[in-house]
Amino acid sequence: MSEARIRDLTELDIEGITRIDEKITGRYAPDVWEQRIVYYIRRDPEAPKVAEQDGTVVGFMLGEVRGGEFGLDEPTGWIEFFGVDPSARGAGIGGRLTEALLDHFRSRGARIARTMVAARDREIDSFLRAMGFAPAPLTALERRL
Amino acid sequence: MSEKRLELPRAYHEAVVHWQTHNFPDYPTLEQVWDRYFPRDEPFCLCAKAADGMSDVIEVGELVGQPKATRPADLAPEAAHILLGQIRAQASTEFGSIQQHTGTFERAADPQDQAWVLRVMAEELRHGYQMIHLLTSTDWSPVTDIKAADMVEEILNMQTGSHVLAAFNLEFDSFVDNVVFAAFIDRVGKYQLTMQKVSAYQPYATSMPPMLKEEAFHLAAGVVPLRRWVEAAAKGDALLSMDAIQKSCTKWLVRGLEMFGDDRPDSHGGEDSVRLGLKDMTNRQAQDAYIAECQQMLDDLNERYVRAKRADLSRDDAAALYERVKRERTSEAGVEWPDLLRLPDRRFFRRRGEGAFEMWGFDGEEFREPEAYIAHVASHLPEAYRASVDVKHWADMLRKVHSGQVTRKDAIKSMPRLARVGGPCPCSRSVRWVVEDVAGPSGEASRLHP
Repeated sequence: MSEARIRDLTELDIEGITRIDEKITGRYAPDVWEQRIVYYIRRDPEAPKVAEQDGTVVGFMLGEVRGGEFGLDEPTGWIEFFGVDPSARGAGIGGRLTEALLDHFRSRGARIARTMVAARDREIDSFLRAMGFAPAPLTALERRL
Repeated sequence: MSEKRLELPRAYHEAVVHWQTHNFPDYPTLEQVWDRYFPRDEPFCLCAKAADGMSDVIEVGELVGQPKATRPADLAPEAAHILLGQIRAQASTEFGSIQQHTGTFERAADPQDQAWVLRVMAEELRHGYQMIHLLTSTDWSPVTDIKAADMVEEILNMQTGSHVLAAFNLEFDSFVDNVVFAAFIDRVGKYQLTMQKVSAYQPYATSMPPMLKEEAFHLAAGVVPLRRWVEAAAKGDALLSMDAIQKSCTKWLVRGLEMFGDDRPDSHGGEDSVRLGLKDMTNRQAQDAYIAECQQMLDDLNERYVRAKRADLSRDDAAALYERVKRERTSEAGVEWPDLLRLPDRRFFRRRGEGAFEMWGFDGEEFREPEAYIAHVASHLPEAYRASVDVKHWADMLRKVHSGQVTRKDAIKSMPRLARVGGPCPCSRSVRWVVEDVAGPSGEASRLHP
């Protein structure tokens, strides 16, 4: 098995990303990923990254640079969706995807990257901390409606 | 990578806007639907864009490492001549595709699909504008005797039927064509733009990244509706069929293959462009990669179809079922092989390059009799297209080639004559009209309503 190659996302990655998500969550949601992926492609197709190994998508990381959210005026690189095929974990693919996306954020003028993690997602939390992310001086609030 | 925005001199800018009023009347609608379908996206800009930070030395060919040209005069005459042909052909495709989309744009059944195509059309207009910027922002006199205004007028005067490449001389038969065209023909565009990112002519190379960013959305505007359509077809939607999608795919794939130029294995097509540093792949190399990508697209669509048809199966079981039906060309568990999307043999129904006016069937089988072959080809094409002058011309030429009345070489050069070619379109002199108008006694530019 060759080493995974990190590259820009294309519209032909929808099937591969849907497959990874289905493996992780157990839900088949192609229509959700179609809308999401078109969103990123139309806004900045050089931002979202995928990892491809022997012609198969084994990981993805979607995000973009935006400013103005939550009163944070500075350009911020937001990491919003990511996943690595369970069968390809442990090979550093998540780390390489993160570095590639952060490099792109820098090229777009961002000096900070942000993301949010559900408290129950300990695995994701520890992955992001290993990638240099730390708790932010922001509080996530919610209210049931 | 940051980018600069550039505007054409007023006369040329107005000429493009004038062209838009005649050929793209739905353009003003884009602004009305933008916030609904593209919220928070950067507003559309009718301007040329140039990427910063690209290599300023030649990246491929026999002059690797030497400074890129910033004026046509800096290029070798052979390279400059090929480059001018590339820009002219690229411009023709951009304006040509808008004319094609316009014909069936109104027929979209889904407002989102329609808004996506509208954005695609606007961005093609920007790409055409970009090519005109390349033609008018520098001195081409060392390469051609034709003045910039004449080159621009020639491009703006082209209609469906008189464009440089055959794929842009076909009418759309329905909105299926708008979507399939984006999936197949814009994909060829992506290959051309990607290859030209290395161009030894710096202004052309820097034009490519902004165009490629937009092209990425164009491909999605083709593939995503197709994904939804195959799901609908699998669920028995009476208005959408796999057969209609397949026939449209066949119509466009074949003409798309010809857009790569001479692709015969022994022709060395595109090697001059690589040698001169204008592209980084030969015609055949790029076409091989394109075919592989189209095959992946159809595999994905077929898997989406099978999952929708057999929602009770797990992903692995559905994938295995698809592989079996595809490999054995069979029908199993409600999935029938004839319903799956397929690419034709690359020599099928060709008018240029490999297989031109030969008789290779959809699956690569060889035919001996022209009438049997014409019937075979017709059975794989959309009904509305089958009855067109385009197919009739091909069939007439095929008969003449195989009866010895016309050589294959002459048949390849022959194009169907559409009645509107050479018609009295007032846009044909749009640049001069605007120039005269701007210089008029009132000193004010007024709208042209010829």
